[in-house]
Amino acid sequence: MNARLIDWIWHIRGSLTLAPGQSSEEALGRLDPLFRQTGTSHERTGDALTFRKKDQAAQDKMSIFDRGALWIERDTAGPVLRYSLTSRALLFCFLAPLLFLSFAGLTIAVGKFDTPSAREAPEKPEKKDAALPQHWIDKALGAPAPEKPKKDDKAKEDKRKLKPTASFVFAGIFAFLYVVGRVLEDRLVKSLFKRKLAGS
Amino acid sequence: MNGYRVGKRLIGAQAPVTIGWENIPGVEGGPLKQFIFTWFQPTALFLLIAFWYYAPNSIAKVSTAIGIGIGFKILLLALEWVSPRYESWRLTWKELVTDLFYVGLGYTILNLIEHYIGSDAAIEAVQHGFDWDKLTWFTGLPLLVQAFLISFIFDFGQYWMHRGMHNWYPLWLPHSVHHYITQLNINKGAVGNPVELFLIGLGIGGFFDFLPRAALLAGTIGLAIGTYQHINVRFNTPRWWRFLFNTTEHHSLHHSQDFEATRSNYSNTYIFIDRIFGTCIDGEAELLGMEGGRRMSIREQMTYPFTEGWKTIRERYSRPTAMPAE
Repeated sequence: MNARLIDWIWHIRGSLTLAPGQSSEEALGRLDPLFRQTGTSHERTGDALTFRKKDQAAQDKMSIFDRGALWIERDTAGPVLRYSLTSRALLFCFLAPLLFLSFAGLTIAVGKFDTPSAREAPEKPEKKDAALPQHWIDKALGAPAPEKPKKDDKAKEDKRKLKPTASFVFAGIFAFLYVVGRVLEDRLVKSLFKRKLAGS
Repeated sequence: MNGYRVGKRLIGAQAPVTIGWENIPGVEGGPLKQFIFTWFQPTALFLLIAFWYYAPNSIAKVSTAIGIGIGFKILLLALEWVSPRYESWRLTWKELVTDLFYVGLGYTILNLIEHYIGSDAAIEAVQHGFDWDKLTWFTGLPLLVQAFLISFIFDFGQYWMHRGMHNWYPLWLPHSVHHYITQLNINKGAVGNPVELFLIGLGIGGFFDFLPRAALLAGTIGLAIGTYQHINVRFNTPRWWRFLFNTTEHHSLHHSQDFEATRSNYSNTYIFIDRIFGTCIDGEAELLGMEGGRRMSIREQMTYPFTEGWKTIRERYSRPTAMPAE
């Protein structure tokens, strides 16, 4: 299978046309400060730059990327900067919904074994009803009277059983975050390169 | 760096910190912003307590508390966006994803484990064989006193657990991962090795579910005070609040890159517990983390306590190598 069919999940690729008259030396020179960050190593060979990042700082503008390459190509319209960047964070976020779905499956599976018959603890005999105490201050301030605990065994059992809802919710949250991140980080890195190339 | 003398301790000799409330800057901006960021914390606390005090029994449920907790955190995230305390603590997409991953673990797999083999299981066993009549003296107390006692007992336990984590190597190993965070944001409290998250999940909280309203009030006190430990918002925190309660200032100092500063401000909610035991330092820090602020990847956060522990064991028990004679 062609890796390109799926590697867009964790790769961000793009291109920017250089300003008229801007040499590749000058363009890569302007981008150079981006790779002088904590945990970043980079290498320049001719019209290309490769970099690697490890334990990148939270506020590093390219913190989501772990490695990548930038190079200048001659196009009919003039020189073009092309880049291919790899992000484990994007891959992680893409796979996170699967992890949370597996937690949901586990919760359901464990719940099936956790039936009332599986619990051997005998129920204590119910005591006769007694009104729950409420302090006179609370009564005077208008707090609702405490409710007697329900004797409904089914409700009790439902409360005791864990539900997979949270796992499904987090699977959804990470799927949404992936889409946001894939679009947002693509745009952010493009505008970052654009600004740097323009010298701002 | 000279550091500051606080009692017998020298704070800030290794990394920059600010000591003393008089040296901490206030909120910058117009009168409306000043007003909001001065009164937000006490108002939110008062409103949340009033809600749980008066909510009808049909509403006063755990599901409502979870909903309010999520809503409150979204509101605080918006405050972080509008008025960050430090630009260097800005929430990025990657930070948000990392933080929410740990929040997610807490709501799902850790919850499952806690339910069956953690304190929830132990509490259920204790509750089963307990004679509730012995607690009538407690249930007859005013509701707010019950709520305060529940949250105080819980925080007192957490204080010693947390202090233990900073003083006993086997507990420090899982907790150390949380100290690799390099900025404070709303959900950063959830970031840590799952072993630690399991340990701090151990508590007596569930023990009080026979007092639903008092337990929910205790939970809301924790939410409306403890949440500000990890937040990137500057408040003009009232003097009485910062004397009694933990604040983001206290907790930023606890997370600073200065070793001595991290050995302070252990409580979650009631900073007066630290004052009682002499571990409170009033101040703040911007540069946070370990090893000069190295940010740890999620993979390393998962394995670090085990790899570090193994390294330490090997060093301690490895045979000394014979030195060659000259």
